[in-house]
Amino acid sequence: MAEVEEIRGCVIRKDLYYAVDDHTWVRLNDDGTATVGMTDVAQNLAGPILHVRVKKVGTVRAKGKPLGTVESSKWVGPIKSPISGEIVEINEALKEDPQLVNRSPYNRGWVARLQPSNLEEELKDLLSGDQAVAAYQEKIEREDIKACEHLEGFEI
Amino acid sequence: MEDLEGKKILVIQTHGVDTPTRTYSPIFYAMAAAAMEMDVMVWFTMNGTNQLKKGEAEKVQLDPTSDVTLKTLLDQALDAGVKLRVCQQSMDLWNMTKDDLIDGVEILGATSIIDLALNADHVMYF
Repeated sequence: MAEVEEIRGCVIRKDLYYAVDDHTWVRLNDDGTATVGMTDVAQNLAGPILHVRVKKVGTVRAKGKPLGTVESSKWVGPIKSPISGEIVEINEALKEDPQLVNRSPYNRGWVARLQPSNLEEELKDLLSGDQAVAAYQEKIEREDIKACEHLEGFEI
Repeated sequence: MEDLEGKKILVIQTHGVDTPTRTYSPIFYAMAAAAMEMDVMVWFTMNGTNQLKKGEAEKVQLDPTSDVTLKTLLDQALDAGVKLRVCQQSMDLWNMTKDDLIDGVEILGATSIIDLALNADHVMYF
């Protein structure tokens, strides 16, 4: 089990890399690819998610450009890619069950797997471990983000 | 999901605070198009103009259990890069001047809307 921290009930895993302002995370895989998803804070702000649409496998994205979109009953917006690279896999399970993002933001609710093109450089802009927790704490307090609510079956 | 980056969408909103249930969706669609990297503009005319008067959009709240109002949506749309434009001539209907408008809205005249419609990839009327 990964080490986690909770801020206002929002779970931050310390083993991931975060683009805190965009509410996204990156997990580095052994095969050189990187998995990307949305954070617990993101799912909480959006509320129960109705649709996740991700661009096609093979699409090349620059850091900061949308990998796709996410919509709930009260919000619609982009999922900004925290790294540059080519989409090599998308989470097909989200088509049938988009609330996997709400229930399992760091595991089964992952969004896309990328083959990074500039990872070493771009990792410098992402935060992990205690740095990520501190940055999220500051953001949550500054923006007065409401306490995280979790759907039944929530998993870390 | 298709790559629609750079496509131009023009949303024309003719409904205002007097018909609350007709106000949210056009802004929501505009935000969706912006999230899909399209170039999006919402043109407010006729009754649509009155929601841009300072203090009005805050009063439109479709779900009383939520803290989201029409003003929240307009602010989110601006943050997402949606351009909000208002018809100069329609402002007269509501005795509005430039100073009455919420921040982030630009005033355009009738000839501009014709140019914008011709240059858009798609126009959505509400």
